[in-house]
Amino acid sequence: MKGHRPGPIIPARAGSLKSLTVTMAVMCYLACLAIGALILINRAVVNWTGGLAREVTVQVRQLQDADIEAELAKADQLLQSFPGVAGTAILDRDAGAKLLEPWLGNRNLDDLPVPRLIRVVVDAEAPPDYKTLAAALESEVKGASLDTHRRWQAELTRMARALSLLSYAVLLLICVSAIAIVIFATRTVLDANRPVVDVLHLVGAKDSYISRQIDGRFLKTGLWAGLIGVMLGLVTFLLLGLTGPEGAGGVADASRGLLFSAPEIAVWSYSVLLMVPVVATLISLITSRVTLIRMLRDVR
Amino acid sequence: MAATHRSNRLVRLDNVGLRYGHGPEILKNVSFRMEAGGFRFLTGPSGAGKTSLLRLLFLALKPTRGMIRLFGEDVAAFDRARLPLLRRRIGVVFQEFRLLDHLTTYDNVALPLRVAGQRESRYRADVMDLLSWVGLADQAWAYPPVLSGGEKQRAAIARAVIGKPELLLADEPTGNVDPALARRLLHLFVELNRLGTTVLIATHDHKLVQQAKAPVLHLERGELRVR
Repeated sequence: MKGHRPGPIIPARAGSLKSLTVTMAVMCYLACLAIGALILINRAVVNWTGGLAREVTVQVRQLQDADIEAELAKADQLLQSFPGVAGTAILDRDAGAKLLEPWLGNRNLDDLPVPRLIRVVVDAEAPPDYKTLAAALESEVKGASLDTHRRWQAELTRMARALSLLSYAVLLLICVSAIAIVIFATRTVLDANRPVVDVLHLVGAKDSYISRQIDGRFLKTGLWAGLIGVMLGLVTFLLLGLTGPEGAGGVADASRGLLFSAPEIAVWSYSVLLMVPVVATLISLITSRVTLIRMLRDVR
Repeated sequence: MAATHRSNRLVRLDNVGLRYGHGPEILKNVSFRMEAGGFRFLTGPSGAGKTSLLRLLFLALKPTRGMIRLFGEDVAAFDRARLPLLRRRIGVVFQEFRLLDHLTTYDNVALPLRVAGQRESRYRADVMDLLSWVGLADQAWAYPPVLSGGEKQRAAIARAVIGKPELLLADEPTGNVDPALARRLLHLFVELNRLGTTVLIATHDHKLVQQAKAPVLHLERGELRVR
């Protein structure tokens, strides 16, 4: 008798939440995949834009009346003396041919007037005035032109932004679906316990009291589903990372990058992924509480 | 004097009518008053509207017309948020008991105190005393599905009175018990009434009515007569 623990006001069996746990866990798993994709896309954008912004290329075309080696040297000298240029490197003919290999194949390009390239590293903090530099190159070096990669950069950024938006849309859809599922489950639980709820009302229970008896179960469901989903997500990334080929730049490398990157990046990735159970718990708790209060208000 | 008189009037119904949906009127122009500390029986044949009248009084239904005042206030003006506090002042014994099958007899009886936020250690002795009084001490840890009809009836009565309500409404409270226990339960109601609880009992049991010698409200075809 001493230490008697009162039984649960709402019977545990009526309106089981097992199927909700499974569905929510799948939602959380999909959310993890979408978040993983989002992190990788954002990181790739930073790398691309950073890399492209730090480098420009000078192209010197072979003209009939010009000595291309002399023009290259002239361009290199001009570049090195230009404010904002941190370094230059003239690519030899073989390096140029290698760049064309994907399109022209492994053949002798001696007969072709292949343009020569100068790789220019710029000071990211104080970049050169590209307009003046282009004008100077064109006027002083025969066949020279400046390529700042701006078009590529813009297109890559646009594509990455579209992929990011797609990932956000997927996350939003997952949240909306989770809310709808929790509303449905809450209604089911309340309907299954309607006789109990009626008695509770008649003995003077407040709506908030009844709601607290039920939504504690939704809190547990959200938390469990979130933890299961995030664990499955991490296992998926781990399997992809361990089983895929190394250095191929595909999904396997991306997964490895997500899990085993530098500590400051890894902490950020894991923190974002671990937000999934927190958000799932909040969605489950808040949605069930609001639904319960609204439904109980209709019961006299 | 007039103010005192008004505050003593616990239940007042004026021309109350009730119909379910578009069906016929179940209660027609029902008017009566009960002073605080009153004791009355509500009699009438099956289907006369006794249960409906009790449901109006414990605020499970709203009247189609007319006015109901409880504890000196018009129930139509009650804010829904105040209903739980009001219901804690009313004890109800349901004809079909309405015990919660997943809770022990003890937890069922303690339910009104528990939902009111009282600690188990505070109400434990009161609940056990009351269970002993209604002869259910041995069944305190049994679940309702294994109780007999009479035991369920007593548990339902115990749940209705545990919170020492100001108004006790009972729907056929002796319908499932033997005459000896019925007399004992009547004694419990009379005792509660003596301690200040206003009691209204709906019953078919003429012997119970004769024993208590209390005024009778008789319902027939939805119309009320005071005897």
